[in-house]
Amino acid sequence: MLAMRHISKVFRTDLIETHALRDFSLGVDAGEFVAVTGPSGSGKTTFLNVAGLLETFDTGAYLLDGVDISGLSDDERSRLRNEKIGFIFQSFNLIPDLDIFDNVDVPLRYRRMPAAERRQRIDSALDIVGLKSRAHHLPSQLSGGQQQRVAIARAIAGDPKFLLADEPTGNLDSLMARQVMDLLEQINEMGTTIVLVTHDPELARRAQRNVQVVDGQISDYRPFAAQAAPAMAGALA
Amino acid sequence: MFRDIRPVLSALLRNRTGAVLVGLQVAIALAVLVNAVYIVKQRVDLIGRPTGLDVGNIFVLSSAGFTQDHDRYATMREDLAWLRSLPDVRAATSTNAIPLSGGGSSTGIATTPEASSEQTVPMNYFQVDEDGLEALGVTLAAGRNFRADEILPPDLNSDRAIPQVIITKALARSLFRTDDAVGKVVYDAFGRPTTVIGVIEHMQGSWLSWDKVDHVALVPEVASWSDNAYLVRTRPGTRAAVMRQAEEHLAASNTTRLIKFVRPLDYYRDRSYLSDRNMAVFLVTVTVLLAGVTALGIFALATFNVNVRTRQVGTRRAVGARRADIVRYFLVENWLVTTAGVVLGCALALAAGYQLSRQFELPRLDLYYLTGGVLALWLLGLAAAWQPARRAAKISPSMATRTI
Ligand SMILES: Nc1ncnc2c1ncn2[C@@H]1O[C@H](COP(=O)(O)OP(=O)(O)OP(=O)(O)O)[C@@H](O)[C@H]1O
Ligand SMILES: [Mg+2]
Repeated sequence: MLAMRHISKVFRTDLIETHALRDFSLGVDAGEFVAVTGPSGSGKTTFLNVAGLLETFDTGAYLLDGVDISGLSDDERSRLRNEKIGFIFQSFNLIPDLDIFDNVDVPLRYRRMPAAERRQRIDSALDIVGLKSRAHHLPSQLSGGQQQRVAIARAIAGDPKFLLADEPTGNLDSLMARQVMDLLEQINEMGTTIVLVTHDPELARRAQRNVQVVDGQISDYRPFAAQAAPAMAGALA
Repeated sequence: MFRDIRPVLSALLRNRTGAVLVGLQVAIALAVLVNAVYIVKQRVDLIGRPTGLDVGNIFVLSSAGFTQDHDRYATMREDLAWLRSLPDVRAATSTNAIPLSGGGSSTGIATTPEASSEQTVPMNYFQVDEDGLEALGVTLAAGRNFRADEILPPDLNSDRAIPQVIITKALARSLFRTDDAVGKVVYDAFGRPTTVIGVIEHMQGSWLSWDKVDHVALVPEVASWSDNAYLVRTRPGTRAAVMRQAEEHLAASNTTRLIKFVRPLDYYRDRSYLSDRNMAVFLVTVTVLLAGVTALGIFALATFNVNVRTRQVGTRRAVGARRADIVRYFLVENWLVTTAGVVLGCALALAAGYQLSRQFELPRLDLYYLTGGVLALWLLGLAAAWQPARRAAKISPSMATRTI
């Protein structure tokens, strides 16, 4: 489903070069729910940006759902993002001037979908996140947890194969965080592959597989349960 | 371009302040622009009217005697004979007035000896000799020129009948309702008859702001103005040289007089149109400045909208917008603002046009100008928003995941 081989990504500014990803290799199978953890600045967001085609990479190979990404034009990358990937962001990124319905509509319009189909998809996506009755509220009229659920509805309305989430619960209290996590699990059970970046070990533990990024590289492929004890020990040391 | 307007509009309506201000600016710009351009066009048309005269090759020379023994008519004969002898002079005549200059003589004539004042047609006359037609460069449409023996001696009391006259077609039409006036008789204010012997195609007289500026008659008489004045027509390209030569020679040839001025005929036309020209230049300047300020306002609004929406643009890109979609978003948004302004501006422009036409007796605003103005502002708006829109399209989709 997602296969990255020896990916590297370097950010260059006038003064410094940051090797955000180095020799980064990772495979995610269809239907998996993978949690990515790691210290701040280790390259998690960079990985997610490359995986979600938000950013290009310098060397290596990346196959997304069988498509070789490296040769694609900007427009083709936009189309792939639109059709295959759903994004969930830490700060929700809803458009403040559009109501909930129109927010969920944004990616569908870019897909040039007929109005009736869009309406039906928006209704069912809002239904899944439990906010159908709020369709004509503005984002500012909703709580943080509700806003993130709207963002999830936006991400899944286009029926993507992939859901990429960067700290989706980072701005939420623990109760709302759990609701969002429940929702993600539910979506995963319906067949969507999910890659979740998080700082929260408790949330990470709920994923099927846990991957740790340190210094721009995968440090561990093992499932979370097997490495839990040393990781905790390391954190306490 | 016009797909997906609804969400753009609803987002715009939630952020009205800037849009309303720029829309108003567009409206005012349209109202001023359309009327200014219309007025300028009228001035330009006015200035561009044909004179019927060979303006570019004619100059005027005036001299005045200052001694007791100065004989102005003898001087005039000598001067004209000398001028006519120059190889580059096509013709020279004495005259009582300078065409296009704002100064001249007028009187009323009619088709019957006892005409009422309503039946009298006002006209502007020039006393010229047999060289008059050629010196003015006007075209004779019918009839003939004056013969040398028909030129009457000077008469300061102007108290006698004039046997022949040459008139313009425009004057002929006002008198006889036809161009075909040769052989017809007109009467002066005292009921004395004059026969029309020639009809001039077209000629503007002394007063360019007069609606009957082309009601002109040439009278075969030695000019009896206070000073001697000659209209001299040169061969193309020789005017400046002939003017210098004439001024030098005539100043030296007769020491009882002074050369008062030697001026090209263009000087008088330009002077008569000075206020029209200044008005046009002023209005063009105002219009250009206003268009510039409006473009700047649109540019500033678009730039602001792009800047406050970097993350939104990144998010749109992340969920599938192509660069072209982002450009389109900002152009459509800007187009909606300009269009709202343009609609209001049409109403303002018509109201302003109506007021202007009432106060200054101008013709009513032509709707072509309004259409042109609307198109111009639409284009101006698109051009002004183009750079910010392109900049927005360059915002990286990874802006969406950046935590600030
Ligand atoms: N656009 C950029 N320009 C320059 N350097 C960057 C850029 N984006 C990321 N970096 C650098 O790349 C490294 C990895 O950053 P990244 O955002 O991927 O870390 P992260 O694991 O997501 O951290 P956090 O947990 O704090 O979100 C960091 O050193 C960061 O400073
Ligand atoms: Mg990060």
